[in-house]
Amino acid sequence: MDTTWLTKAWANPQALSANLWLIIALPAFGALVCGVFGRALGRTYVNLVACASVLASFCLSVFAFQAVAADPSVIVTPAANGVPMRFALSGDWGVWFQAGSFSAHLGLWVDHLSATMLMVVTGVGFLIHLYSTAYMEHDAGYWRFFAYLNLFMASMLTLVLADNLVLLFVGWEGVGLCSYLLIGFWYTDAANAWAGRKAFIANRVGDCAFLLAMMLLVLTVTAFAKAPGTEPPAVFFAQRRAVWTHAATSEPGPLNFKVLEEFAQYMPANLAMGSRGMLGTDIPIGPLAGHTYGHTLTLVFLLMLLGAAGKSAQLPLYVWLPDAMAGPTPVSALIHAATMVTAGVYLLCRMAPLLVMSPAAMATVAVVGALTALYAALIAFAQDDLKKVLAYSTISQLGYMFLGVGVGFFWGAILHLVTHACFKGCLFLSAGSVMHGNDNEVNIKKLGGLRKEMPWTTACFGIATLAITGIIPLSGFFSKDDILHGALHARLVGYEWVGPTVFAIGSLGALCTAFYMSRAYLLAFTGERSKDAKVPHAHESGWVIVAPLVILAALSIALISHGFPGLLKMPNGEPETLMEAFLKPVFGVADRLAIEAHSLLPEAERSPWPGFGIALLLAWAGGGAAWYLYKRVFPARAGKPAPEVFAAVRAFTVHKFYVDELYDAVLVRPIKLLSIGLFRVVDEGLIDTVLVGGTAWVTARIGSLLRYLQTGDVQAYAAMMAVGLLAGVGYAIFEALAK
Amino acid sequence: MNAAQLQPYLLTLVVFLPLLGAGLLLFLPREEAGQVRAWTLLAMGVDLALAAVAYLVFDPKGAEFQLEVRRAWSAEFGISYHLGVDGLSVSLVLLTGFLGPVVVLSSWKFIHDRVKEFHISLLLIQAAMMGTLVSLDLVLFYVFFEAMLIPMYLLIGVWGSERRREAAMKFFLYTLFGSLVMLVAILAVYFIGQPAGARSFDYGTIYNSLLSANRQLAACTQGVGCATLSPLALTLQAWGPLMFLAFALAFAIKVPMVPLHTWLPEAHVEAPVAGSIILAGVMLKMGTYGFWRFAIPLFPVAAYQFRPLFVALAVVGIVYGALMCLAQQDVKKLIAYSSVSHLGICMLGIFAFTAEAASGSAYQMLNHGVSSGALFCLFGFLYERRHTRRISDYGGVARVMPFFAASFLVVTFSSIAVPGTNGFVGEFLVLLGTFKASSLWLGYPVLATTTVILGASYMLWMVQRVFFGPIDRPENGGLRDLDLREGLTASAFMVLVLWMGLAPQPFLDRIAPATDRFVARAQLGTPDSAKVKDADVRVTVPPIEGAPPALPQPPVAAVALPR
Repeated sequence: MDTTWLTKAWANPQALSANLWLIIALPAFGALVCGVFGRALGRTYVNLVACASVLASFCLSVFAFQAVAADPSVIVTPAANGVPMRFALSGDWGVWFQAGSFSAHLGLWVDHLSATMLMVVTGVGFLIHLYSTAYMEHDAGYWRFFAYLNLFMASMLTLVLADNLVLLFVGWEGVGLCSYLLIGFWYTDAANAWAGRKAFIANRVGDCAFLLAMMLLVLTVTAFAKAPGTEPPAVFFAQRRAVWTHAATSEPGPLNFKVLEEFAQYMPANLAMGSRGMLGTDIPIGPLAGHTYGHTLTLVFLLMLLGAAGKSAQLPLYVWLPDAMAGPTPVSALIHAATMVTAGVYLLCRMAPLLVMSPAAMATVAVVGALTALYAALIAFAQDDLKKVLAYSTISQLGYMFLGVGVGFFWGAILHLVTHACFKGCLFLSAGSVMHGNDNEVNIKKLGGLRKEMPWTTACFGIATLAITGIIPLSGFFSKDDILHGALHARLVGYEWVGPTVFAIGSLGALCTAFYMSRAYLLAFTGERSKDAKVPHAHESGWVIVAPLVILAALSIALISHGFPGLLKMPNGEPETLMEAFLKPVFGVADRLAIEAHSLLPEAERSPWPGFGIALLLAWAGGGAAWYLYKRVFPARAGKPAPEVFAAVRAFTVHKFYVDELYDAVLVRPIKLLSIGLFRVVDEGLIDTVLVGGTAWVTARIGSLLRYLQTGDVQAYAAMMAVGLLAGVGYAIFEALAK
Repeated sequence: MNAAQLQPYLLTLVVFLPLLGAGLLLFLPREEAGQVRAWTLLAMGVDLALAAVAYLVFDPKGAEFQLEVRRAWSAEFGISYHLGVDGLSVSLVLLTGFLGPVVVLSSWKFIHDRVKEFHISLLLIQAAMMGTLVSLDLVLFYVFFEAMLIPMYLLIGVWGSERRREAAMKFFLYTLFGSLVMLVAILAVYFIGQPAGARSFDYGTIYNSLLSANRQLAACTQGVGCATLSPLALTLQAWGPLMFLAFALAFAIKVPMVPLHTWLPEAHVEAPVAGSIILAGVMLKMGTYGFWRFAIPLFPVAAYQFRPLFVALAVVGIVYGALMCLAQQDVKKLIAYSSVSHLGICMLGIFAFTAEAASGSAYQMLNHGVSSGALFCLFGFLYERRHTRRISDYGGVARVMPFFAASFLVVTFSSIAVPGTNGFVGEFLVLLGTFKASSLWLGYPVLATTTVILGASYMLWMVQRVFFGPIDRPENGGLRDLDLREGLTASAFMVLVLWMGLAPQPFLDRIAPATDRFVARAQLGTPDSAKVKDADVRVTVPPIEGAPPALPQPPVAAVALPR
């Protein structure tokens, strides 16, 4: 069979590079059309424009993906790095803004990482657009909905395609903005709009940290480039420019990803400078002078972690995501499960070459991820709202991705991101289908017995549940357990305890995951129909809703291929997964730098199968426990009150450990009180009344006093003049005598 | 006459065309409100066109001041009619020109009382603001600077709401106090700068004459050459700080910097829509512009000496202004306090003394003009319908006024600096530049960055309360959406917000040379002063056209003020 068509780019890479902007522009244009003319166009045309623009974007993405994946000739960076690197479609549309020595370009690129993300975003995005045409069928605000959704696609694609941090930040805040608009889509209910605002502000807290991280990074890179002893900056940047991009016409700016990667290459170099290379040396010039590169980078990544935690709903900024379920369900599937919330993972992976310079930051990432994974899973135990269960589950699964990033297992995190997009997308869309067929009921205790009435939805939800639980042979098993396996064998230098610890926490989380997902499935889909159900009989949704479910469920199974160990062999004979091999051009550098910087040491590869066995056991245990409790114990105890201890624990969990209340009491209220206090006391009282009013008062008093001099009495004036004259003369005489 | 020959008259036209319009209005019958409005709109429109021509003609690679004209005015006192624009002022001229027609359109239906006088005031303010921006002679500058006050006082005092008299009085006295102190400083600079007979109020002449003295002084602060200071340098050493503070006081009131800001919320709340737009859109920038053009370049050593104070006040302003917003119940007061916060960012950018921060600050001046102008303008449309400023009187407005809500949201996002809108570029550059300013404490930019969170909190809180939720008051149920006139005005703002956010570089290109010169002039007072080349800071002063050749004057020593 002739397979050359697979290994050659279908479309001319140069032409693709020059047209990358279309991938973003098409949905943006769709948003404009739907937003401005949507009401006049009518439902059919709005659906058409919205879906077609995303579909076109998807097709372009497929070509781009294929070109990057298949054609080794796109750009080959010199093999001097030691790792053969196949990069990337890239285009540059000039300077976005530039001042002083800083510049940010409108540059896009597609390497293996962003190509993967492109497929997820446009693929899942298109399915959800299609689904929404049916889901939003009866909503009068459909044109607004599709305008926001298309705008979201444009922002998310900007985030993924950007070749520098500043442009990435445009997408980063853009998706937050669309999320705000979509959570509050049904704004006439104030609670929805408040939820949107909460999401935006929690995100902004993260974004503030992200901005600070960017600033520090600019200072660090600029100081490095300008430092006496290294090459002059013009040379430093110019030499690299030729290598990185086709089109850059001027300095790409310090926040360009390739510049940052190049900067990272210098960090561990020259080990003669101490055991940690450049990392242990002081920054010579600039405002950060005197701090070492290593410490600065740790700070940068701790800040960036906070930024990522805001977007990806990790501790301590996760509080917005459960509330975000106020938005329409397709939005929850697209934004709050499959794409936007994974932006934090993408960001950290994007920065991998620099991230590995700081074991401290990596350890923090891993621990935050592991804790979030367990913590959110615990809260999910007690939630009765199907969408809330899924929301906490998303937080928990994102925790696994962070865990993977933290132990330097980048491809595993990305693989889990992809599989999670499929099965969690499927779960949310199924939940939407359930709501569609049950008059918007989301309480799993008021559903039940859907298996017979909604067979397709039940099947898809079931497959996705098995995938997230981690049952062989579904994709979630390998993607999650690859991460846990990686964690067990990761050695973060100086933080050796982290790997086993996060493995233990993560495994516990996996157990919980199996439990709460099985619980949700069992309560909602099996058994008898609840007596409290809103409608006596649910109805299966139409094909426009079911088809995306089926496709995503199928993908949840099919993607196992990319996580299955041993399909490929590395040159040294060790097994390699498809995903690992595919992302090697991106993460190979980071892996090598980690070893050079002596921050993350690989252990001899061990067989993953024993670990997989344990994981499988845990999954069965969790699922089994749920089945036993909800199918055997609770039905038998029906009517009897629960033991007090359990009731108390449950109340505590239902209220999400009172974290929202804590934040409110510790942060929100004090700031509000402070501002009101400052306004009343300082602004109105001290400044306006005492100082400004006081000045006026004093002036007026002096004026009234002086009024007594203006008597109009000529004799008094004459007397005063005489006194003044005498005083003057007297002073003159006194002066003369004194000399 | 071709275009090239017209160029010397361009700025004169920009400044005096509104005045001409005002003169024309005098002859219109007072009951013909429609005609009055139409003619004003026409005058403002032509003025905008002229400003746009000036902006396009300005060559970023050319001389510092372009479109210059210098005519004899009062030769015996060294006053000349000297106009010219650099990158910053031509940008601000364009902004002022843009807001002119907007102001007229936004008050089209709002003002019913004394329509003719109202529009004459608008045109007078426009002329005065343009004049302030293009004057390169200190007396001329001062005249225009003061001339802004009177019509503004009338706008607030006559067409304002309930407590308009107090607000107008406070505004007037506050700013007048500042500018009188500045007048003293202008006179002092005039007297010390040059020997009698050669004295001049010309900006460039004064700057050049102080240049070497400033250099000596800067070296002296490093301990070099203190024994050999020239008489002028000695005078500057003793009196420079006071003169700087006198200028700074006038401009700091105008900005306004905390704690001199309390006139602003009151003036905004009481002013009619037009007054608020002009005040927030342009007039506040006269303060930052003054620092940029006069206070810092003329007294770089003193500016450097007081820099910690001003940076601290700017950062306090950013955070404090934002906190004040959280406590407001009144939409206009909230927007007014947000101006205090945003202008704090501008001031921080100016006093960071780096190219990034100064560019960002200049861009932020334009952004704030657009976004706060838009906020006041849009809220004005709502106020016309409901006649209340209390946030709690609204709710669910988005349902009945969707287009209005969409426009307001876009402008809100610009105000809270979402990337992709204009606000982001300015804020980002200012923060970055402040981080890069080596001699500043890193805590300042870190504190300033919290504006990202606080700004979103108060703006979205207000948007939430006004636009979202159910319509719980029947009065809000019948509000109609924007009509064509209002829609066009709102669209103009939205286009600008996105345009300046997505393609900022053409705007920044014009600002860049002004930024470089400003930073070099500011650096003159810092320990790095030796690195600044004279050629980068010296102002080229054109000769006075049409003046009789000056008689050779015997040189007389400059007056040395007592030390």
